[in-house]
Amino acid sequence: MAKLDGIELEIMWGNMISIVSEQAKALQRIAFSPIVREAGDLATGLFDVNARMVAQAVTGTPGHINSLAAAAGHLIDVIPPESLYPGDVLITNDPWLSAGHFFDITLLTPIFRGEKLIGYCGSTIHHTDIGGYGVGAGARDIHEEGLWIPVMKLYERGEPNETLHSIIRRNVRTPDSIFGDLAAQVSSGKMGGERLNAMCDRYGLDDIVDLSDEIIARSESATRDDIRKLPGGSYHGETEFDVPGGEVITLKTELIIDTERGEITIDFAGSSGPSRSGINVVTAYTHAYSTFAIRSILDPDLPNNAGSLAPIIIRAPEQCIVNAQYPSPVNARHVVGMYVPFPILKALAQVVPDKILAEGSGAVWTIQIQGRDKHGKSFTSSMFNYSGGMGARKTKAGLSATCYPTGVAAVPVEVLEASIPIAFTCKELARGTGGKGLVDGGDGQRIGFRMRTGQEWLLNAIPSRLSSQAEGMFGAGNGAAGQFLVNGESSSEAKKLVMQADDIVLMQTPGGGGYGEA
Amino acid sequence: MTRYALAIDIGGTFTDAVLISDDGRGWTDKTLSTHHDLLEGFFKAADMVLDKAGIKLDQVNDVVTHATTVVTNILIERKGSPTGLITTEGFRDVLYIRDEHRYDMFDPQIEYPEPLITRDYTWGIDERIYADGSVGKEIDPDAVAKIASDLVAKNVSTIAVCFLNSYRNPDNERRFRDILHEIAPDLFITLSSDVAPQMREYLRTSTTAINAYTVPITRPYLNALIEKLQQQGVDHEPLIMLSNGGVVGARTAGTYPVRMIESGPAAGALVAGFIARKHGIENLISFDMGGTTAKACIVQGGEPLVIGDFEVDRRYRFKPGSGMPITVPSIDMIEIGAGGGSIARIDSLGLLKVGPDSAGSSPGPACYGQGGSHACVTDADVVLGILDPLNFLGGDMALDGDAAFAAVKKLADVLETSVDDAAHGIFSVVGESMAAAARAHATDRGVNYRGLPMLAFGGAGPVHACYVAERLDSTQVIYPAMASVLSAFGTLVTPARLDLARSGLCRLSDIDWQNVEPLIAEMLDEGTRALIEAGLDESAAAFEFAADMRYVGQQNEVPVPLAGDPRQAENQDDLRERFNEIYQKLYGLRLDDMDIEVVSWRVTAHGGEAQRQVNVSLANEEGKPKSRRNVYIENRHVETPVYDRSTLALGQQIDGPIIIEERETTVFILPGWSLTVRDDGSLIANRQD
Repeated sequence: MAKLDGIELEIMWGNMISIVSEQAKALQRIAFSPIVREAGDLATGLFDVNARMVAQAVTGTPGHINSLAAAAGHLIDVIPPESLYPGDVLITNDPWLSAGHFFDITLLTPIFRGEKLIGYCGSTIHHTDIGGYGVGAGARDIHEEGLWIPVMKLYERGEPNETLHSIIRRNVRTPDSIFGDLAAQVSSGKMGGERLNAMCDRYGLDDIVDLSDEIIARSESATRDDIRKLPGGSYHGETEFDVPGGEVITLKTELIIDTERGEITIDFAGSSGPSRSGINVVTAYTHAYSTFAIRSILDPDLPNNAGSLAPIIIRAPEQCIVNAQYPSPVNARHVVGMYVPFPILKALAQVVPDKILAEGSGAVWTIQIQGRDKHGKSFTSSMFNYSGGMGARKTKAGLSATCYPTGVAAVPVEVLEASIPIAFTCKELARGTGGKGLVDGGDGQRIGFRMRTGQEWLLNAIPSRLSSQAEGMFGAGNGAAGQFLVNGESSSEAKKLVMQADDIVLMQTPGGGGYGEA
Repeated sequence: MTRYALAIDIGGTFTDAVLISDDGRGWTDKTLSTHHDLLEGFFKAADMVLDKAGIKLDQVNDVVTHATTVVTNILIERKGSPTGLITTEGFRDVLYIRDEHRYDMFDPQIEYPEPLITRDYTWGIDERIYADGSVGKEIDPDAVAKIASDLVAKNVSTIAVCFLNSYRNPDNERRFRDILHEIAPDLFITLSSDVAPQMREYLRTSTTAINAYTVPITRPYLNALIEKLQQQGVDHEPLIMLSNGGVVGARTAGTYPVRMIESGPAAGALVAGFIARKHGIENLISFDMGGTTAKACIVQGGEPLVIGDFEVDRRYRFKPGSGMPITVPSIDMIEIGAGGGSIARIDSLGLLKVGPDSAGSSPGPACYGQGGSHACVTDADVVLGILDPLNFLGGDMALDGDAAFAAVKKLADVLETSVDDAAHGIFSVVGESMAAAARAHATDRGVNYRGLPMLAFGGAGPVHACYVAERLDSTQVIYPAMASVLSAFGTLVTPARLDLARSGLCRLSDIDWQNVEPLIAEMLDEGTRALIEAGLDESAAAFEFAADMRYVGQQNEVPVPLAGDPRQAENQDDLRERFNEIYQKLYGLRLDDMDIEVVSWRVTAHGGEAQRQVNVSLANEEGKPKSRRNVYIENRHVETPVYDRSTLALGQQIDGPIIIEERETTVFILPGWSLTVRDDGSLIANRQD
């Protein structure tokens, strides 16, 4: 095949992106897992024969997107290409090999063109349950957190691995939902393979070797060129926030822009050490949220693939909260992971002040409720979440009650009230909680609820920023810290709370920081 | 006596008129829309087309149908009168909080539209309905009186009322309305339980707010239309095109303007269904490409697909999520930023990109000679030789071929290729992106796009359709007659139709049919009334039934058509099987062990198809090419004959490549395709194998 020009390449590349986007859309629509369908907490990607990610769906939360990029390589390190056959599907939820906690299950389907392996189709989605501790940060080590699925074949030559299926079925609380979602992932991988083959038919390709080489090479060099336009040097940023139980975490970054190589290195040395609760972050997830922050200041034309990810390097010392080591618990790693962009944005404020935004409320507050209804029937709610205010941009106020860096939607009040015996007392903006400045930060919101069961219930809530405020940028005011009140009293625990029948919960999510001195 | 039917379609730029008689004659005309007073354009266009036929308005004794952009204009220009919102106390910010979602993960600069009703026009009232429909707190009349006096003080003339869980039990909303109506009889009151009785408070409030905001302008507009028509001797009520692809009487339409938003585009899609049925085609994809965007709609079984919700007024780069959501049924269309004015550029990776940025109509593509310097799709079409710069809009608007060449050359230099190849690159990239969008849309709907015939219209549609069709493995493209007034024509062949939905969450395993009974009965009643108002005999009313279902634990529903009134069969196993089948078709799997739940019930009430048609007069003798020119296609120049569409005769057959020019567009047929002229004036291109 002759060297591809900018026209042919655009057409075929566009085809590959539409293959993965279609898959992501279908997965999100049919998911049982609420976080997937409401938040798009999933990723789909297409990989070349060397397991380098070539195309990725433009959806999902930042956490998954770049974790999947690395996962494909890890999977075929364990099960090499020569032992793969048409009809095989690989699986794992190993936090270090995929997306950082057991809930995220990654599937990888080899794509054959006739007898020849030409690539892989992968997806990661956040499942409803994985046994063990459940949602939350309370487990003491990783083994308490649930079922660990090593890299295995979920299907071999089209036949289900019955042993693995029955192990999963016995070890999760909601097997129907898990198998519903796994089936959707399997069918999506199969479809992706068919689409890629159809594309090869359309353009007369035997494989995608030249195509992916060209895509990855161009992406990498364009990314390096874009980095070279920034002023080189070393910049520092730091952020502080409190997590359930009151522990205060510091994230420090040194951001080194190497204009010669066209590389950005982010070093987390000096950040807090490992936590005893399940908020430790594996490096793949740290990498994901770091590149997310970098990407927001680079040329929006740049794609997300192995080539464009290569020039961004993450370093973290071994004893560090953003470089979790076995057997640290990692279940609620989003609580820390979602703050990772802030020290980076603060360092970048010295480089590209127009493109960044002030600190925001940070991690979304997640909640899960368990109990028995009036008839004594037990129920477990799905995980639901609420956001605080976003930090201000240079010329635009921070968005109120909108999360950043993740993009999770909230489950509507009416949907929750119809699915569990809960009654909300309010859900309104907490006006004035955004930091004042030349441009104001976004406001947090006030949400109140009680249960209608007339008996004890269990509350598993993960608020953060109950004392450390979102800092204003360039002399602007801070956003107000959040409040978590049970019957009017402050409460912050890393564990599940036992609640009384008439207890009322009132939450006020934090405001975002302002931008510029007023 | 001859019967005449008149259709007027008021669009953003033009107001189109179509008049047809029951002996098969037809007249068309168009004039610029008059935005200061849309009805002025209505009657101007009507007079123009009536003059052509030599009749007066009072001779229009069949229907007067109307599609209009009036509601969309009110929303986009934000020119509604002060509107109030009444919510359950504690939930006043529902329009500000939305669903908390960021629609673009990677862009920190995203924006949302300012809520239609601001916080200082929002009141909370202490009332409560629970999810099971039980009343936690009733309406206090004193609180209503207090709100009434605030409304007067703020000069509010219309309000939206949306209480929590009112989709389940509307009593509190109705009670509130009744008390308020006593105090303030002139106030327009829109209840969420009337306009969109479905679960999800933000969607329902947004829909209700849009209705309340647009009612004070739309209702007088439609009443004025009825009155002016009466003054000129038309006694029957005009029929208004709704977003769902049906018409209803103007009075019904005026109560629920939120159902009229996609009036014009829906009419276009409707015509696609009509033409499909006429040509004996079950399924097709309609492709309407204009100056800034292209729209596609899938027709299945002769009917365009309808969806339950959509979005209006996307504020930020046309991105999904940046507009206001509406949960009323609408023709299911995708719109992408690919039109004649779409700008081509080379991105930082050296790739040729086309759109979504558009040069619009001013300055427009470089060839418009109005100062635009970006190479646009139309410039590429000129460079390739598909468009004749001297014959654009029938020669009324000469294009600057040199400017087009210069603009494309700038890109060619960066790509290190010839100007011809760069122009062909633009042509193929835009074609590919439209094909990709159509594929994604079809896949999303569980439709196999491969080989679907295509219907092409719009100014740029017929230029690009053949190429797009090849990308979709399609073997047939239809270029209908009257393409430039197709939407107006569409309103004349549209049956009266109303789509209704009611929430009724229940598991199939423990369904209580007694709860279903009143929901269906209510919808049948509402549908029947609307059909009678649209001039139909009650006996002509037909009903279709559907249920939105999902596996228990899922959150997105799949609409499932039912065989008949579900209350008669009371057969949950049939519902189960139908859902499983559709699910399998959509997503390639079925989960037989999972329980299924119904989320909403749907009823569509409709009359029979309107049997109107126009006989197009075709030339008696086979037309000859008026000229030949070189078109650059697939790496070479090909001499291509150019025909005038009006000279083509019935049954005439021509092999591609061909160019066929008409005033508003140019049909371009690729080599390997063959064209036939049909008796309804449409051109059919078939791929030769």
